[in-house]
Amino acid sequence: MAEEFEPKIVAFLCKWCSSAGSDLAGVSRMEYPYNVVPITVMCSGSISPLYILSAFSRGADGVLVSGCHPGDCHYIKGNFYARRRIALINKLLDFIGLEPQRFQMSWVSAAEGTKYTEIIKDFVKELKPLGPQTKLGRDL
Amino acid sequence: MVSLEDLKKEAKQILKENKVKYIIGYKKSTNGLMPVPAFIKEPEEVEKLVWDPTCVFNLTRYLVDEKRRKTKEKEPDERPVGLVVKGCDSRAINILLQEKFINREDVYLLGVSCENTGVLDEKKLTKKIKGEKVKKVEFDEKDNFIITTQEGKTKIPAKEILANRCLECKANFPVIYDVLLGEKAKRSIDNPFESIEKIESLSTEERWTFWKKQLDKCIRCYACRSVCPMCYCDECVADTISFAVTADTTAEEKAQKIKWVEKSPVSSENFIYHMVRAIHLAGRCIDCGECERACPLDIPLRFLNRKLEKEAKELFGFEAGFDPDQPSLISCFKDEDPEDFIR
Repeated sequence: MAEEFEPKIVAFLCKWCSSAGSDLAGVSRMEYPYNVVPITVMCSGSISPLYILSAFSRGADGVLVSGCHPGDCHYIKGNFYARRRIALINKLLDFIGLEPQRFQMSWVSAAEGTKYTEIIKDFVKELKPLGPQTKLGRDL
Repeated sequence: MVSLEDLKKEAKQILKENKVKYIIGYKKSTNGLMPVPAFIKEPEEVEKLVWDPTCVFNLTRYLVDEKRRKTKEKEPDERPVGLVVKGCDSRAINILLQEKFINREDVYLLGVSCENTGVLDEKKLTKKIKGEKVKKVEFDEKDNFIITTQEGKTKIPAKEILANRCLECKANFPVIYDVLLGEKAKRSIDNPFESIEKIESLSTEERWTFWKKQLDKCIRCYACRSVCPMCYCDECVADTISFAVTADTTAEEKAQKIKWVEKSPVSSENFIYHMVRAIHLAGRCIDCGECERACPLDIPLRFLNRKLEKEAKELFGFEAGFDPDQPSLISCFKDEDPEDFIR
């Protein structure tokens, strides 16, 4: 039997909320798929479009950007900037023909370990039928 | 109508009064129909100036070079540069002002109206007249261009040979100027985003096939970047070079020299390059269409920028190039920005 496709997800998590949220999921021993590679950044507002495109170009099947809920940002308004920027990248990726399911954003607070696991579970479920992402993968 | 005589008179006047260092305008080229940029320093030289539908270039780009030159000079000439601007060029000026790249007193703007029409697309014109040699193209009162060939004058409806960007232009007159020539006549357009909506209506896979075919052509000559008045970064992510990592290379050096995009003109890298360029121009692109015109491989680059222009307008109600005092698109936010895509 052929092995089931396991998508690789790169998750950019903000240090103050989402990363702590994923930590909570870990220390609470919640189970969630192992497909995700978390990368902690200082703020969701610090995520450059280049990070996302690079992740895709180095073979990520899906990219998740996660930050604090609006109003909860450690830097007061970083996630508001992120929201604008990510909205534009989202539209652009869709426009050039990347499947819209491959790029997602979420708000996860430090207390929402359960929400984090749910998001990862859903994400993996959505990515599985799509197969590997080859569109933006580096073909050098 | 813009009277060329008035333009020359204005130009002569400001040169005589020593108000400007020099004037950047258009002059007839030695070969062919399309004009070339003219740098006019002496009042006598203003006779060279031309203004007709063949003046397609966005001369704002020269302000970027001018600023670089000025910073290197020991005793820079502080007088402004005179510049002939069309509607789209004047919006580019607004962006440069908004980003504090130039100051208002650095430029003296001779605004020319596009006479309710716009500028032509050289390729469309060649096709239209089937390779005949065109001597002159003029504006006409009623949305036509008067074309003079060896066989005489013909009138062609402007719509047939207008550049694509002009067909969707929101303001075909300067929005910022010191002197305005011609009227502020606004042409009515049914749907400024018509061409974009055509692509949007395709399915995801069809869109992918379209862009794959287009961007595969790219040879990474960076003509789009060189010609763009907004691409003025001193260092571009596309230029990151590989460097030798030795024992004493600091972490900071490594972080600053990440190679985001490979230089090889292969499909995946072309995608990254063009998407990064599109994102960097989001809320700054004023749709002068120069990238598309300069592209030697006819990649419809305008669509990428246009798409983000559309989204900026629909999602955030943002329009670039009309108000130099508004904050730039991604350096501001509103509480009610859409977040329906966020979980």
